[in-house]
Amino acid sequence: MGISGEMRSPSRRRLLWQFLGSMRLAVNLLVLLAVASIIGTVLRQQESYSSYAFRFGEFWFQVYRDLGVYNVYRTLWYMGIVGFLVFSTATCITRNTPRMLKEILEFPVRQREGAIRAQEHFLELHSALPVPALQERLLSLLRGYGYRPRTEIRDGLCYVAARKGKFNRIGYFLTHLAIITICGAALYNADVPVRWAEWMGTLVPETNFDLPLPKIPHSAWMPLHNLAYRGSVTLPEGDTADVVFESAGDGYLVQKLPFRIHLKSFHIKYYSTGMPRDFVSDVVLYGPQGQVLKSGLVRVNHPMSYDGTEIYQSSFSDGGSLLRMRSFLLGLPAMAAGKLVGKVGQTLKAGSSGYSVSLKNFKMTNVVPWSSVDGHAHPGSPVINLGPSFIYVVHTPQGGAGEFKTYMLPIHRDGQSFYVQGFRATRGAPYTYVAIPNGPHGGISLFVDYLAALQQALNGGANPTPAVLTQVFQQVAEVAAPTMPPEKQALFVRDSMLAMTQMHDYPAPFILRLSSFHHRWAASLQVTKWPGTIVIYWGCVALVLGIFILFYLPQKKVWAELREDPEGGSRLLLGGSADRNKLEFSRTFEFWQKNLTDATEIH
Amino acid sequence: MANSRAEIWAPELPYASRTWRDTITRSAPWAIALTAATAFIVFQYGAQFGIWKYTVLICWYLALLVAGSLWRSIQWAVPAVVIPALAAVWMYSAGQTPENSWILRYFLQGLAAVLWMGGLLLLATAAYVLHVLMKNETVGRWATRLTWAGTLMGFIGLGVRWRETYIGHPSWGHIPVSNLWEVFVLFCASTSLFYLYYEQRYRARALGAFVMPLVASAVGFLLWLTFAQHMDRIEPLIPALQSFWMKLHVPMMFVGYANFTVASLVGLAYLLTKRSAVRGGTLSKMMPAPEIMDDVMYKAIAFGFLFFTTATILGAVWAAKAWGGFWSWDPKETWALIVWLNYAGYLHARVVKGWRGTNMAWWSFMSIWVVTFCFLGVNLFLSGLHSYGKL
Ligand code: HEM
Repeated sequence: MGISGEMRSPSRRRLLWQFLGSMRLAVNLLVLLAVASIIGTVLRQQESYSSYAFRFGEFWFQVYRDLGVYNVYRTLWYMGIVGFLVFSTATCITRNTPRMLKEILEFPVRQREGAIRAQEHFLELHSALPVPALQERLLSLLRGYGYRPRTEIRDGLCYVAARKGKFNRIGYFLTHLAIITICGAALYNADVPVRWAEWMGTLVPETNFDLPLPKIPHSAWMPLHNLAYRGSVTLPEGDTADVVFESAGDGYLVQKLPFRIHLKSFHIKYYSTGMPRDFVSDVVLYGPQGQVLKSGLVRVNHPMSYDGTEIYQSSFSDGGSLLRMRSFLLGLPAMAAGKLVGKVGQTLKAGSSGYSVSLKNFKMTNVVPWSSVDGHAHPGSPVINLGPSFIYVVHTPQGGAGEFKTYMLPIHRDGQSFYVQGFRATRGAPYTYVAIPNGPHGGISLFVDYLAALQQALNGGANPTPAVLTQVFQQVAEVAAPTMPPEKQALFVRDSMLAMTQMHDYPAPFILRLSSFHHRWAASLQVTKWPGTIVIYWGCVALVLGIFILFYLPQKKVWAELREDPEGGSRLLLGGSADRNKLEFSRTFEFWQKNLTDATEIH
Repeated sequence: MANSRAEIWAPELPYASRTWRDTITRSAPWAIALTAATAFIVFQYGAQFGIWKYTVLICWYLALLVAGSLWRSIQWAVPAVVIPALAAVWMYSAGQTPENSWILRYFLQGLAAVLWMGGLLLLATAAYVLHVLMKNETVGRWATRLTWAGTLMGFIGLGVRWRETYIGHPSWGHIPVSNLWEVFVLFCASTSLFYLYYEQRYRARALGAFVMPLVASAVGFLLWLTFAQHMDRIEPLIPALQSFWMKLHVPMMFVGYANFTVASLVGLAYLLTKRSAVRGGTLSKMMPAPEIMDDVMYKAIAFGFLFFTTATILGAVWAAKAWGGFWSWDPKETWALIVWLNYAGYLHARVVKGWRGTNMAWWSFMSIWVVTFCFLGVNLFLSGLHSYGKL
């Protein structure tokens, strides 16, 4: 930019051009982006809208929603800042390129005296040496420091020039071009057309999560040949899917895949401590005509790639295990125990009683700390294996509900075995655990019988004295467990009393026990098509290389003019500057000064 | 002739600018020793190596070659770490355990070495502070020695612990950078190491009185993690962390954190020294010149930025392998971006706008809050994929 350019009042276009490529804007945009990014880390992103509404109240909930705070990085305004940064950087490059290219290509040996004096470091000295000797001295000095000096003699003056780090400016191109490349490719991966359609309202996320696939309206389907997507699907073992779901706002969008994924099986490997070691899905990909495209394992850290898409193991859950249960009505002898069969995820009607049972979850293994079950310390064996567990919710005809958790394996204490049964009346509250004593043949029927007999006796007017309690138990045991020794009987009565007091708030009139199961997993697989990724990798290589060049190969320039002194000897004018590591260069320049001065004085 | 020139002037200046020839001749023995060691590894174990192991070996070879040439102390520090660590590995393989060998129990066992590191660095911190307060050079020399000893013990501890993760449960083995305790050891050791580099290169021992107190508080936190939280126990890795990329991503990140930390505390030193200079206080007499501190700040940030960039990229590559996308806006990732943008802003302001002095010292100093939040705050306060550091 020449002086004349500044004198004329700059046009508006020119001002904008300058503003876009200005350093001030760049620094501000960098800081603005940093601040905007914080939002998404202090507020958990992409939770359900109801939980946000609960937290912020209706008014603020709507304000934040309209600002896109629940998924900041996908909002158009955030992408806008990134886009603006890309644009500004591009302007900056365009503007600086000609100047820098010229600088790389042109390096005159002769330099005006004024320019030499204008360098950051500058010295002028008189030497007793004749010009050729001093020149030789200077050249060998510069060579010793890795420069390749050039000389030119013109009009009786001797010029020496040298520079290092000629390609330092390449570092500038590489870093800034890399920023543009990386952000551009990332915007491509973010699937701008779909975000735009969403914003324009032609693509509407579906909010009903219970709709079967064919019922999902067309407005929630992304195009088949979408540029980029990242969605996930939960597949029960043995099932097949050809779509993935991408979460969007309060709902989801559907993406059709160019293949079908079939989950053959899923399993978890464990360490000896019970901690999971690996999650493994065995999958097969089928083409549209049913041909096998690929098959293999998908593990954490080991995705499967096929034709530009990557399939990852992201999580897992129960895929509808088949459970067979026995139900014991509290207050009725166990002879009347009912049978119940259902899959996890189903809701069963308990006869015509008006009660219903929703089977929520099944878990194959439960190795838990002792303390979480009974609050006692068990030195030596801190964990206990409680076997499979399942969770169910009972809805009462009156509209109440309770949640229950039942472990299949018993625990043992003082020679007596117990089943552990957890219950809670409200979700989110901790479970209250009851330890129900098992009879000599296993099972809780002895306890249920005893409870029924006790209730009958109390209803008949008996007083709950220890003698009565023991007597009632003896009557029950005579039929159900005739070989039970008396001291065991006493213990059983004591443990039963404890369990009954713990069951004071038990929110259902029956207990379900798991008698057998057929386990079925479901794996959540994430499918990503991000064609921009490879471009990003190259951008990253350029970025690191560019930063390295900028920092560690700084440009240093040296110019000298030597002339014969009419009074004998010679005069030297030396100027130099470095655009980075200035302190170091100034030290080097001090060396040179001493060295050259030294040389002039020794002679 | 070129050699003698640099030698003559070197002692008079804070650091010597050398010619290339000097650098190369001075580091020839180091290059030869390093090449011999690498050749030995290749001949001994090369048969089991795949492409990745060779890549890692070559990277280490080049990194140590360059580091040793530019900073000669590395030339003795590397054997000082490797030999004791290998001795401990050998003792374990010979059937010795901390129970029956007092050398392992009190010195070389991973935990013991780390506790030595903690103790030595605490003493070093005290010595640095005394050095500045009493203006005593002898105490200062001891401070430097103690820091060296602590740093070396820290790296020995990490090396031995790496071996220990395999002992008793071969399927657990992993590089010891996988939980908060382990990364804190790494943080203390690497921050001290980089501090020592700047101290030596700029002959600026008084900076230790500012940098080391932060290391000391990290040691305090580490001791709390050890004795109150028992986080020094070796645990197996969760599936997400079982990756080759962790070996590159985490250590590089800590090169960045260490340098940013040093830069930040030098910024504090700069600010306090300026203030003290106005009042003619002691500080201004003990501390290095402002230009020197300014340069340390810039050098440390530039070096840290290079590594931080590389580490973030490697993390993104890892994320692409593990979770299906190179970027998921996980809180840790986002904070790494924030740190990165912050320092990119700093570098632009300094290099392009030419800002220097108090403003930049403030910027550098305040950045430690951003860095600390990224390093520690995210783990403590936010949730996400990087839960390795959960308390
Ligand atoms: C995301 C955006 C950007 C990033 C991450 C970035 C990064 C960098 C980095 C790391 C450096 C090297 C600093 C150093 O050498 O210490 C640099 C230098 C530079 N940047 Fe940027 N930059 C960005 C945007 C911009 C923009 C928009 C401009 C236009 C004004 C710009 C102009 C420059 C200039 C002129 C240099 C100095 C080059 C030199 O002296 O060789 N940068 N940038």
